[in-house]
Amino acid sequence: MRAAIPTLVILVVMILAVSLLGVFGSPLLLRVVIGAMINLVVVIGLSIFIGNSGILSFGHASFAAIGAYSAAWFTLPITMKKIFLPSLPAFVLSTQVGLAGGAAIGAVTAAITAAVIGVVIVRLSGIAASIATLAWLAIVHSVFSNAEALTKGTSSLVGLPIETNLFVATFAAILALVVAFLFRFSRYGLMLQASREDEAAALASGIPVRQLRLVAFVISAAVVAIAGVLKGHFLGILAVGQFYLEFTFLSLAMLVLGGMRSLSGAVVGTFAVAGIAEILRILSSGFEIFGLEVVAMPGLREIGLAIMMLLILLVRPMGITNGRELTLPWKRKTANELPITNDRTG
Amino acid sequence: MRLVAEQLTVNFGGLLAIADVDIDIGPGEIVGLIGANGAGKSTLVNVLSGFQKTRTGSVKLGDSVLLGLSPDRIARAGVVRTFQSVRLFSGISVRDNIAAAAAVLGSGSESVDTLLELLDLADRPDSDAGSLPYAHQRRLAIARALALKPKFLLLDEPAAGMSPDEIEDLDRTLVELRDRTGMGLLLIEHNINLVMSICERLVVLDGGRVIARGDPDAIKSNTAVKNAYLGTEGGGH
Ligand SMILES: Nc1ncnc2c1ncn2[C@@H]1O[C@H](COP(=O)(O)OP(=O)(O)O)[C@@H](O)[C@H]1O
Ligand SMILES: [Mg+2]
Repeated sequence: MRAAIPTLVILVVMILAVSLLGVFGSPLLLRVVIGAMINLVVVIGLSIFIGNSGILSFGHASFAAIGAYSAAWFTLPITMKKIFLPSLPAFVLSTQVGLAGGAAIGAVTAAITAAVIGVVIVRLSGIAASIATLAWLAIVHSVFSNAEALTKGTSSLVGLPIETNLFVATFAAILALVVAFLFRFSRYGLMLQASREDEAAALASGIPVRQLRLVAFVISAAVVAIAGVLKGHFLGILAVGQFYLEFTFLSLAMLVLGGMRSLSGAVVGTFAVAGIAEILRILSSGFEIFGLEVVAMPGLREIGLAIMMLLILLVRPMGITNGRELTLPWKRKTANELPITNDRTG
Repeated sequence: MRLVAEQLTVNFGGLLAIADVDIDIGPGEIVGLIGANGAGKSTLVNVLSGFQKTRTGSVKLGDSVLLGLSPDRIARAGVVRTFQSVRLFSGISVRDNIAAAAAVLGSGSESVDTLLELLDLADRPDSDAGSLPYAHQRRLAIARALALKPKFLLLDEPAAGMSPDEIEDLDRTLVELRDRTGMGLLLIEHNINLVMSICERLVVLDGGRVIARGDPDAIKSNTAVKNAYLGTEGGGH
């Protein structure tokens, strides 16, 4: 753990640097930076499970939804709740908590849900486990879309207090980073990473693979849930569609592009994709160059991101960070730079 | 505490991989398991280590029943195996390969360092395990297994692909380890000279059945073994 402290410091500095862009930039840039910080919480949360266990999850958007809505039930002003969600239980209707309380409620609710569904998912391995997470997402999406009394169904839930500012979002990102760091460099993180490399060998080494997967799944669900809570209280509005396929695609793209296997990959990937997505978004609304007018190209952002992902992965299949942690240049191990000839015969 | 297995049978859709196999290893004992390819040696190790389920027979460590437990619980109980196909944690460092297994017991980094020294891996502990030369990989697999402080270690062809010198080193290390820790060893090995020189007892499998057991001299002079295996030793790899 101690040897990895430089990595933690570098990543915290990166987060603070991006955060400063928001402090000194335009109001628009401020919103982009806050959005990126919220995304970072999602991606770091994802990486706690995916990065350590090696199992790709398509289902974590569900935990963002569960976190966002369960928090909103308590943070919505009482007068609004009585109008928009009158059939909530009486004690919920009569309680109002702040953002921190909401985040705690969201994280705990998602963690409990993850502990239940996780028992099923961690029994599976590889692609079967990934498909199960996708099925889980479909279930949650469908339930939330139809639970009119809890979510307003396919219409939006409005009136959430707008309390997610740059400070809160940055704080959450650093908190998520520290949680992920502590897990990754703990003995539990190491054992889970071993199972990612070879499940049978991990079992043969006495590693309780399923239990560790479940622990990682629950922690990562709680972190992603906090991102969902922040998102709701950033926009002031919740819609079930915010936590579905686009959310899943974007957060996975960030993680994969940065490098799934390292925490640095989560941070680098999030900022890289968020930056490029923003540039593409601006371009897609049309612009003028040398007097030529380029018309608006709706969809440029999605297509551009997809192409970029393909290109980067062609050049660096393990992501921008190559699955390694960022560290001080003089601490980098020379061993990995001098490939040892492998006279493997069998 | 002995590792005792009785009447183990494994059937792969009509193919008897092992049939009515008994095996019994005491603490501090080195038992050799030999037999041609396909004789059922790896299958036996798979059953003992919980990777292969079987409904018949029994496997016990002392008084506790191992058969039916999951592989990780069997390993934590002190019966640890290596794989014929090595199976390292390729993308993580040599040190962390051992540390991951040591973490199961909560052992610290001194025990990892000791194992790195013992199996001659201390020269590049920070390389990815997958980048090691083949003989190093085999030794790392043994170091990783030892990190669990096994009472019984089941080695599935640990010397395959090694040069005669490397085999001799490994051989010496294994005996030294046994002397120091008092653990029992089950050694699957095609190199008949190695097996004969370090094993107190041998079990010979052929077509999934035990065709002979006894000390090396008895095995050498056993005609059934000669016919089934020793005669074909050159091609038995
Ligand atoms: N998973 C399996 N499915 C089907 N047949 C298997 C399986 N594992 C081993 N066998 C068969 O069982 C027999 C014994 O194999 P094995 O135990 O690997 O032999 P050995 O290790 O002595 O070379 C062989 O005929 C092999 O083809
Ligand atoms: Mg075999």
